[in-house]
Amino acid sequence: MLVGAFACAHTPQLIARPETEDRALVLRVHAAFARVKRRLEALRPDAVAVVAGDHVEAFFLDAVPALAVYAGAAAAGTFGPYKYSFPVHEPLARAVVEQGIERGFDLLYTQGAPLDYAFFVPLHFTMPEPAVPILPLHVNVYLPPQPTPRRCHAWGQALGEILRGRPERVVLMASGGMSHYPGTDRYASPDFDWDRRVLDTLAEGRGAELAAVTGEELDKAGNVELRTWITVLGAVGAARADVYCYEPSWHHGNAVVEWPLS
Amino acid sequence: MNDAHYRFPPASAFPLNRCLYALKSDDAFRARFVADAKAAMAEHGLDAAAQSALLAGDRDALVARGAHPYLVFMADLRVRMARGTATFEYF
Repeated sequence: MLVGAFACAHTPQLIARPETEDRALVLRVHAAFARVKRRLEALRPDAVAVVAGDHVEAFFLDAVPALAVYAGAAAAGTFGPYKYSFPVHEPLARAVVEQGIERGFDLLYTQGAPLDYAFFVPLHFTMPEPAVPILPLHVNVYLPPQPTPRRCHAWGQALGEILRGRPERVVLMASGGMSHYPGTDRYASPDFDWDRRVLDTLAEGRGAELAAVTGEELDKAGNVELRTWITVLGAVGAARADVYCYEPSWHHGNAVVEWPLS
Repeated sequence: MNDAHYRFPPASAFPLNRCLYALKSDDAFRARFVADAKAAMAEHGLDAAAQSALLAGDRDALVARGAHPYLVFMADLRVRMARGTATFEYF
């Protein structure tokens, strides 16, 4: 069953803060993460399924899957001084791959790809105690052509149905966003207005509208990673978002959101 | 989408992107690059112009040659972290 849904920023400056970053802002995002952690502990999930956009870490240009499921025993990776490994909920992973394929989604699965920091950063701050297994779900966000928002939303709808049919208590968590342009000349000019309009839409329970956004618009708004949110939106339907925080830094719209599910 | 921030990576840039990917994600390769950048770049068969752009940290020149902007960004960050030229507060 699907017992909770969240979206968390994962920008690496939140975990490894250079001097360029406003410390108070970083700590405010940490406070929102702590709130997610408390909620997870109250929801008592058996697994946290994280939908994240791979930063060309698990999948380089040797093979670029649009959608992928990590179905190994454990998922491990490194980022700077951090070395991490999380047990994976294997029965859940296998069910998602098998039922996803049955539903017409040609998923790639991996049992050994490195786990990107997009998965690690939110889990570092929000993993409930005691810890639970994870299910990493990849969406290609940085290597064009990426899956369309409509396809991500449809995958999220199918994913939600699969999870609701399972005996485990599962929390879905999107990792990524909001507006930022890493590596481009717009890095210091995120589109905060676009972000705020999206958050207003989500707070009103109208997240399904994001399925109609184009990939071109996401790129223009610095929101290629919002595909992970749109995937989760497919699963949560008309639930209204509770925006824990929106903290615009000089390069990034940092948001933490919950969709409380009845 | 020619004006997109992130574009389809041209096949001609595969060696350059592979080198940037290794700088980002391969600790051993990054250490070799920090010790001897030219020898490390030669491992990936970079031509002189690509080597020059990478050594200069010239993002625009790298992207013009087909480098993925995110890889340029994170390779540079990871090299600076390895060289100790940036300081971080780790949480």
